[in-house]
Amino acid sequence: MPAPAVKTTDDLPDLRTRGRWPPPEGPRVAIVGSRLPSPYGEAVAEQLGADLARAGVTVISGLALGIDAAAHRGALVGGWVTVAVMGTGVDVVYPAAHTKLAEDILAAGGALVSQFPDGTAPRRHNFPARNWTMAALSDVVVVVEAAERSGALITAEAALDLHKEVMAVPGSVFSPLSVGTHQLIRDGAGLVQNARDVLAALGLVNEVLDDPLSPPKGLGVTLSPGRDGILSHLSDVLALSAADIARKLQLPVAEVLGRLTALELDGAVRRHHDGYVRALHGGRKRA
Amino acid sequence: MLAGLDVRPVEVQADRANGTPKFLLVGLAATSVKEARERVRSAIKNSGLEFPPQRLTVNLAPAEMRKQGSALDLPIAVAIALAGARKKAPPGTAFIGELALDGAVRHVDGVLVAALGLRKLGFERIYVPAADAAEAALVDGLTVIPCASLKAVVDHLVGTELIEPHVNGGSRPKAETGALEHDLAEVHGQEEARRALEVAAAGGHHILFSGPPGAGKTMLARCLPGILPPLELAEALEVAQVRSLLGDIAANRPLDGTRPFRAPHQGVSTAGLIGGGSGFAMPGEISRAHHGVLFLDELAEFQSPALQALRQPLETGRITITRSAGSVLYPARFTLVAATNPCPCGWAGDSVRSCRCAPAAIDSYHRRLSGPLLDRIDLKVGVRRVKLETLANEPTGEGSAAVRERVVEARRRQLDRQGCLNAQLKPARLRQLAGLEPASRRTLERWADQRGLSARGFHRAWRVARTSADLDGAEQIGERHILEALGYRLQDVAA
Repeated sequence: MPAPAVKTTDDLPDLRTRGRWPPPEGPRVAIVGSRLPSPYGEAVAEQLGADLARAGVTVISGLALGIDAAAHRGALVGGWVTVAVMGTGVDVVYPAAHTKLAEDILAAGGALVSQFPDGTAPRRHNFPARNWTMAALSDVVVVVEAAERSGALITAEAALDLHKEVMAVPGSVFSPLSVGTHQLIRDGAGLVQNARDVLAALGLVNEVLDDPLSPPKGLGVTLSPGRDGILSHLSDVLALSAADIARKLQLPVAEVLGRLTALELDGAVRRHHDGYVRALHGGRKRA
Repeated sequence: MLAGLDVRPVEVQADRANGTPKFLLVGLAATSVKEARERVRSAIKNSGLEFPPQRLTVNLAPAEMRKQGSALDLPIAVAIALAGARKKAPPGTAFIGELALDGAVRHVDGVLVAALGLRKLGFERIYVPAADAAEAALVDGLTVIPCASLKAVVDHLVGTELIEPHVNGGSRPKAETGALEHDLAEVHGQEEARRALEVAAAGGHHILFSGPPGAGKTMLARCLPGILPPLELAEALEVAQVRSLLGDIAANRPLDGTRPFRAPHQGVSTAGLIGGGSGFAMPGEISRAHHGVLFLDELAEFQSPALQALRQPLETGRITITRSAGSVLYPARFTLVAATNPCPCGWAGDSVRSCRCAPAAIDSYHRRLSGPLLDRIDLKVGVRRVKLETLANEPTGEGSAAVRERVVEARRRQLDRQGCLNAQLKPARLRQLAGLEPASRRTLERWADQRGLSARGFHRAWRVARTSADLDGAEQIGERHILEALGYRLQDVAA
């Protein structure tokens, strides 16, 4: 891993920006993690993003697939600004599938920032430098799901170099995506079970409660009665395939597939690379 | 002579004249044909026939056509022998065969193609190597004389000893009747992929399986031929023609009703995949998979030019290949079954092992897959790995025979309605023949709007929905059919 040339916050590179920069005064938290998260990681990132935004925290992330996007989405739901620190030029949205997300971020008063000149295409060696910038811009870095050697760990390392707080969300001990985060926790990173843990690290709240992340409110989606039959069999963190559900319900797989697609159209379920999960903010229209 | 599946007859004329003993072969013969002189001379002598000690000229007409291959050995030898006997070959008769030095008549490739073409040109009688007689006899209305040796042919022609024409016993195609090599009954779980396979078989849709190594993608692909109806006579004949050109017809079963299954390796060249070679192109894997299944495992590992070359045949069911000697057209109406890993290492998204690919690597992997080729694949299905310890507990589904019955019925509905399978419906005919209920149309449009579906993607979902309705025996495409069709896509791959 090439060591970043700059080592202190004062040496923050010049940034090209789109949208409102700098963001309103207030604490900033980076949420980073795997680009191929489990539904669990995605749900946690989205929930943390939303809860932190509600508390007036500017959520910073990298506009990448997976955890990054979930954190941005959550922050948008929470109704506060969010900042995407990009590894490409600010005019090059990468991945292209996040063009809409980038527009939403700008529309909600957030910003896209980059240390690279306009027009810079995605280059592998640019991302570690971007990760350093992300850490430099944040007060706390929260890692949600990172496999061994994940890029999110570079951000965590940079944060330590810059004397920023690093925190991590624990995951399943069965999952390869927990290796990196559990290593961080073992090495002394703060444990994140909910947004309050992060707010406490920021000095915004004093009491730390050990209560689990409160189940999202949007879960009781109101749908036509014919459909929620399937919905109640879906988990919000563990992806199930159409075949799994069909077997459980003793229904033909073709029918289940169709009904899942209908639910997806309504925004009540989301398709994951490994199957279907209940959407956290069910019923909300997403592009 | 064969030019792909085209047949161009060559007239062989022999003239003996007084002069220095000499054997001239004229008429734009390639090296392989010029060698015929030596084979023919030895074969005639060793058959106990007289090789005229005169100035002998053999002309191959039309002279402007370049001739290749060894199939002209027999006609040249016969022409010389008949010239010696001062006889002419009976009209409407053609000869094909290579000669051994002892006068035996040897197998040549493409006898079926030649026989079909000659029949069309009005020939009534064809002399072929005995080994290829069954192949030639597949053609109706053609008398096939099996030739074991040059001596026997000449004796037959001069009338001293007659050869019985070859007739195939029961020439209807027979599919393998025994147990299928790969039966869906052996597939544990994977209900989604099974259903997609059934839809693919019923509508002729191309299908892409995506999943980690060992998920059973190959097994699923190999099950597809078994749920397709056996080949019709005309189809089997087309398949046999391609095989004939490649010399790949079993003498004991010239017409095989089994659906072809071709699985070329990732390293296959463009020429190997779509056809090629010097002179006239020979058929490639896609033509060998005609009316059957072309399985491309690890799709992203194939060379890009080879994959790009698949676009024309996927669209039209034919391939035109141009080489030095001219263009040839081969049939290539196959069902493409492609399989891919989710990333180069194969473990992205797996519940146990973690993916070790750099993001750029995953990206370029997906880029290689995306684009025009994926745009022509109707069904995209994720396949999950079944854990070994639970494998035995996973329910096994129906066997291939039961699925095939539904597939046959759905295909019959399509052929009755439109004369082709749903996958081959052009958008205009789709609109005309596969009406959508208002609710279905609204759902499809809503989805297209929400997900930015391309026009091609829109029609693709529509076609799949039509097949789903056909499997249901439904006249109209209902909302559930549309929803099922929209379900066959991969999250990572834009629809």
